[in-house]
Amino acid sequence: MLKALSNIGRYLVMLRAVFSKPEKFSIYYRQTIREMEDHGLGSIGIVAIVSFFVGAAITIQTDFNIENPLLPRYIIGVTVRDSLLLEFSSTMVGLVIAGKSGSSIASQIGMMRVTEQIDALEVMGINAAAYLMQPKLIALVIFLPILCALSVALGLLGGYLVCLVGDVVPVSDYIYGIQYVFYPYYLAYAMLKSAVYAFIITTVAGYYGYHVSGGALEVGRSSTQAFVLNCILILMANLVITNLILH
Amino acid sequence: MITLKNLYKKFDDQYVLNDLNMTLEKGKCNVVIGQSGSGKTVLMKSIVGLLEIDSGEILYDERNFTRMGKKERQLLRKEMGMLFQGGALFDSLTVEENVMFPLNMFTSDNYSSKLKRVDFCLERVGLRGVNQLMTAELSGGMRKRAAIARAIALSPRYLFCDEPNSGLDPRTAIRIDNLISEITREYDITTLVNSHDMNSVLEIGDKVIYIYQGCQCWEGTKEEVLHTDNEALNNFVFATRMAQQIKDI
Ligand SMILES: Nc1ncnc2c1ncn2[C@@H]1O[C@H](COP(=O)(O)OP(=O)(O)OP(=O)(O)O)[C@@H](O)[C@H]1O
Ligand SMILES: [Mg+2]
Repeated sequence: MLKALSNIGRYLVMLRAVFSKPEKFSIYYRQTIREMEDHGLGSIGIVAIVSFFVGAAITIQTDFNIENPLLPRYIIGVTVRDSLLLEFSSTMVGLVIAGKSGSSIASQIGMMRVTEQIDALEVMGINAAAYLMQPKLIALVIFLPILCALSVALGLLGGYLVCLVGDVVPVSDYIYGIQYVFYPYYLAYAMLKSAVYAFIITTVAGYYGYHVSGGALEVGRSSTQAFVLNCILILMANLVITNLILH
Repeated sequence: MITLKNLYKKFDDQYVLNDLNMTLEKGKCNVVIGQSGSGKTVLMKSIVGLLEIDSGEILYDERNFTRMGKKERQLLRKEMGMLFQGGALFDSLTVEENVMFPLNMFTSDNYSSKLKRVDFCLERVGLRGVNQLMTAELSGGMRKRAAIARAIALSPRYLFCDEPNSGLDPRTAIRIDNLISEITREYDITTLVNSHDMNSVLEIGDKVIYIYQGCQCWEGTKEEVLHTDNEALNNFVFATRMAQQIKDI
């Protein structure tokens, strides 16, 4: 219990350092662009694949579960769209990125810690926490919502293709369904959730990396711990935000 | 000049630095020697503020480092260059980017003048034609030299070198020692070198400080090191049988 409290304390101290003013904007800016390429563009592939297949699977399952002849067929399109928007895309992308970017952030920063590169930054008079984490944080908070929107689109495309080739819902019903009573507000909600997840992923992974001591073994362990904690926190945040906004 | 007054530092109730008092002189190589684990690295990291001391004072030319806030410390650190025991080059950057890093961060020069400075520093440490290599592609000695180049890029007033020549062959080791010593004199900076290599102590030790179990045990010049009656230091200096036999002759 005491340990948890001291961890939270150290996390908050680190956050304050992360949010301090950059030594030099141009360098932070360039670094942010680089991180966007790494963690944003670099994740499009995996997000696309996962979303596409999940979208297809949800469509088949929803069709399988709603066999009531009284309900119009387009309701399947509506359900697929809303499950992707409200739940699947943001959480799925969050978990995928926690695995991909979170682990890499934790091990990169951890490795820099154990090889004294962070000390070297500090001795130069650079705020290492800000220099290492601020660009990543900005890059992910901007890019995760974009990935989430992309995931919704590709999930819907997956469903569409299933309708096209398989014997699920007529394509016209599906298309009608995914357009039926669409609240843009749902999309904003999903993207907001993603931004919160991005904040959690970067800062938790950064925290674990920043406070490693030891060697390669500890770096590996801390990146695993960061992933586990990130998953838990993302799912908890999901519950809290859903409760706050949709209720 | 750096002055240390009554420095104490402990890890879990174990004092690693125990009442250290010393003056590191300007324009000279101040060499701290001592066995492995005697607290040399801890001392150096305490002086630059990477480790917080438990009590005592550290003065950089009359400026009290211990009492400074974070902002002031960051300003003062722009006057420091440090060579870590393991080099601590940024492994995601090339050699050139490593040396240019402090310039990018703290100067507003244009690219070509920064590049000129980088080339000058690399030339100074005898590294040529490796600008575009990643640091992982360098040998141990080259890595040390690149790290020195990075440390002197901003013309520091205080230079700290933690075992600059450990793990190097004697010839390269002496080259690095001489390099540090030359830079110190040329730019009149205050240099602190940690070492447990007697060769380099005799080569560059303008002022030699021996620490033993965290206490300051002896202080003198490189000439005096060989003729001391301090027993602990004698055991350290004449550790090998060869040295012992030469001394007996
Ligand atoms: N972060 C730390 N936590 C706990 N103890 C530490 C820490 N850093 C160093 N020590 C202890 O302090 C003592 C001095 O270590 P230090 O690294 O200063 O030795 P050194 O003189 O630099 O040795 P070497 O010549 O091998 O580099 C050692 O006993 C070490 O166990
Ligand atoms: Mg050491």
